[in-house]
Parts: sequence; C-alpha cells; structure tokens
Amino acid sequence: MVIATLCGMGFGTSMMLKLFIDDILKAEGIKAETSPWDLGSFKGNKADIVVAPVDMESHLKDYPAKIILIKNLVDKAEIKEKVLQAIRELS
Amino acid sequence: MAIFDTILSLITLPAIVLGFIAMVGLLLQKKTAGDVFKGTLKTILGQLILGIGITALINALTPIQQFFEYGIPSGGFETFVTYDEAVVGAVQNTNLMNVGAEIAWTMLFGYIVHVLVSRVTKYRYIYLTGHMIWVHAGAFAILFHSFGFSTPVVVALASVLDGFYMTFAPALAQPIMRKITGSDEIAFGHGQTLLNMLGAWAGKLVGKPEDSSENVKIKESFNFLRDMSVSISLIMLLVAFIGAGLALGQIGTTGFAENISGGQNWIVFTLLTALNFTAGVLVLLQGVRMLIAEITPAFKGIAEKLIPGAKPALDCPVIYPYAPNALIFGLISGTIGQVASMVILALIGWPVPLPSMIAAFFASGAGAIFGNATGGRKGAWLGGFLWSFVGWFLISFAYKFQVFGDLSGLGAVGLGFTVPDAIVPGIVIWGIAKIFGF
Repeated sequence: MVIATLCGMGFGTSMMLKLFIDDILKAEGIKAETSPWDLGSFKGNKADIVVAPVDMESHLKDYPAKIILIKNLVDKAEIKEKVLQAIRELS
Repeated sequence: MAIFDTILSLITLPAIVLGFIAMVGLLLQKKTAGDVFKGTLKTILGQLILGIGITALINALTPIQQFFEYGIPSGGFETFVTYDEAVVGAVQNTNLMNVGAEIAWTMLFGYIVHVLVSRVTKYRYIYLTGHMIWVHAGAFAILFHSFGFSTPVVVALASVLDGFYMTFAPALAQPIMRKITGSDEIAFGHGQTLLNMLGAWAGKLVGKPEDSSENVKIKESFNFLRDMSVSISLIMLLVAFIGAGLALGQIGTTGFAENISGGQNWIVFTLLTALNFTAGVLVLLQGVRMLIAEITPAFKGIAEKLIPGAKPALDCPVIYPYAPNALIFGLISGTIGQVASMVILALIGWPVPLPSMIAAFFASGAGAIFGNATGGRKGAWLGGFLWSFVGWFLISFAYKFQVFGDLSGLGAVGLGFTVPDAIVPGIVIWGIAKIFGF
C-alpha cells in the first residue's frame, strides 16, 4: 500500500505528515510505503491513500485514490483516526 | 597518496557528503540494505538534479535583468531574485574552494550542536524543517567562508552558530506560538522568525487579539495560488512583461530582437523566459525534495532518542489552519509591502529584489498570523506588510554590501538570501568582522 502526503512544496508540511504517519504505522505494526508529494506534480503519481490539508480539497476532486483531509495538521489524534480508518476500509 | 587524494576529493564533494549523511542516518534507523542503498542514491541524485535546476533558473534570469537594464537606462539599479534554496543550491553545486562541502558538513555538525544545546539547556526544541536546516547551514557556512578561513574553521564556527540558531529561534517564537495554537505542543521552525516577531510586536501596538481576523468572512478565491507552478509563473510573467515593455519603450522591437532576444519575436521570447524560470524553480524544488527526504527522518529519529519530550519545531504552514484569513491578509499586504520597498530601493539606487509570491504567501502570510495573535485584524495587515517591507530592505542590504561575500563569484549569479534568520545574524557578524578588519 502507498500512502502519499500532499503540500504545496512537497517537502514541508507533507514531510511532517509523512513522519507522523510513519510513527502511527510503526506503533500499529502496519507496513506501508509513505511518500511526500507536491501539488505541482502529484497527478502523475499513484497512491492508494492521499493525506492532505483540508484547504487542498479542490485540487484533489478527481484524483483516483482514497482522500483524507486533515483539519488540524498537528493533531496526531485526528491524523491517526482518519488514516487508520482509511486503511481498514481498503483492506 | 592516490588513495588519500581520492578520499579527499570525495569528502569535499557536496553530493557525496550529503549521501554519506543520509547513509549514516539510514543505518542508524536500522533500515534494510536495499533501503540504505536507495536512500543514499536518491540523496546524491537530489543534489545533481538541484544543480540542473539552478543552471536553468540562472539562464532564464539573465534576460529578465537585461530587460530592466535596457528599459531603465538612467536608473542605474540592479535587479536580482531572492530565493534561499537557489543561493545555497548554486553555491553548493559550483563548490568553489570546497564551500559546497563546507555547507554539507555544517549541515551535519550544526545539527549535532543543536541537539546538544537543546539537551543541556531548558530550551528543549528539535528543529525538523529539512530545507531550512539546509538553508541555514548554507548561509552560515558561506558567511564564514567569506572571511577566508580554512575549511575546518568555517565548519566549526558555522556549526556552532547554526546549532544555537536552531535551538533559540523556536524558543524566541514560542510565546507567540502558544497564543496562535492555544497549546504548547509545537514550535516554529523556519527562517522567518525574526520578522514574524516584528509583526507580533507591531501588532500589539495597533490592535487587540480579540478583534481577530478570523471573525471576518472571506471567499476562498486564492486557493489556486497554493500550486507553486501557477503562482511562480504568474508573478514571473508579470515581471518579465513589465521589464520587456520598458525595454521596448527604450530600444523598440528591432533593438529588442538585436540586443536581447537573438532575433526571436519579443512576445514569444518574454513568455518563454518567464516560464523557463518557473521550470528551473520546479526542477530545483525536485532536487531539494530528494536531498532532504532521507535526511529529515534520520535527524528526527536521532533527536527524539537523545531528547525525549522535546517540542518539534515545524515548517511555517503548520500555523496556517489556525488563521486562514490572516494568511490571505498577509498575502495582500505583503505584496503591497514588496512593491513599496522596491520603489524606495530603486529611488535610492540600491539593488532591487524582484517580487516573490513565495515570500508574499509563506512569509508575509506567517507574519500576518503572528500579528493577528497580538493585534487581531489590524495586526495581521501590519504584520504581513512589515515582513515584506522591512524584509526587502534587509535582502537588498545583504546583496548590496555582500554580507555573505561575493555570491556571484561563488556561482549564485543574480541571487540573494531571503530569510531574516540568516540575514540578520549575517549582518551582525559581518559588521563585527568589518570592525576587526577582516
């Protein structure tokens, strides 16, 4: 499974989200590849789940993956709940 | 001796040093052999891709500067692009007199100093913004390099300054961060700190936090600007066509074709120049992305083991969700601040940094959120404006007086630093060095 995180630059917020998600996956014993993406070029890439800040919703409208929108980017509880639920729904 | 020479040339090659740092980081995280190989390789490729982006960017920049030179013949001022990643990338890529390797080693040793300082003082922060770790290591290494020290001395001095910076800048911003986030969980880790704090200080003078920008309803019409390729293209098209227009006014279409475009039609040439610049930035960003992708998790893993319970200092967008309106106010007032500053700089004959959407959005936006935390709506407008207005003066000062040495001579042609956390300490140390006759 590939979980992508998205932000404008592809190395700031997306990297932070990736690191948070890595911690969550490790604690839960789930194996998945995580990778940070940037808004400019992500449409050429493929992932099963895309995690993005809530204000990027309009950019992700037609993207063929499970989209998770995060309201509070530093709320690990919100990220954990939404990501784990998405993984459960996919498997 | 041949082996020694080979080792020496490897440890003075930025791409190899960064690959080495990534490899050690991956080994310490106990990754598989395949992951270690992949990560090391990608880090080295990141540095090489970055170099390609820099070349494209500088090539596109030259005609834009020509536009203004021909367009305002009596102006006598110089224009340049202010972009930290481009400066550090270009200098590191050119690697004259090992300065590129000094940057890479400062990135490693500076982080070690930072972890030690955070461990022994009460300021338990870990700085996790990858590209800013790299940019500050770069700025400080280039600064000390400009005084003519030997490589070990440059790395030692730059690492100490860098390490203290990464611990104390988040500590400085934390009182305001508590106001913004309403908790004490996360810290601010970006080179904007000093000008954001100026916004917070000024905000207190003009308004009250209760009058928050977030009580205002605005439409979400600026969302498309979050895509860098769009926002950079728009601003560069605007700048290029203004410049081309001025040049046409002076030398006409024939003169333009003869002196600037090499015979190409001016509209096509200007359009391609602006978009080539954006393409260069996008390639550069891809390089930065690959360069820091492996190193950031390694630094995080190591720091968390050594300093349990430390607060992570994170990239500026983490504060955006707390005040999205202030962010937009900052984008608008920051653009006004940039233009106001540019006009004054042009009038007094100082080098003029070209407008930057990245600075208006990311920096003035954050400055406005800091201003909003202390002065509400009015503080947000003022914070965003001041960031760009004062920032553009600092940027021009550092470029004019070569605070970081001769950046053009080191490969960063027509490029200057942006972030105040690199420029202000740079000016202080440059000033002290001047007094002592360096």
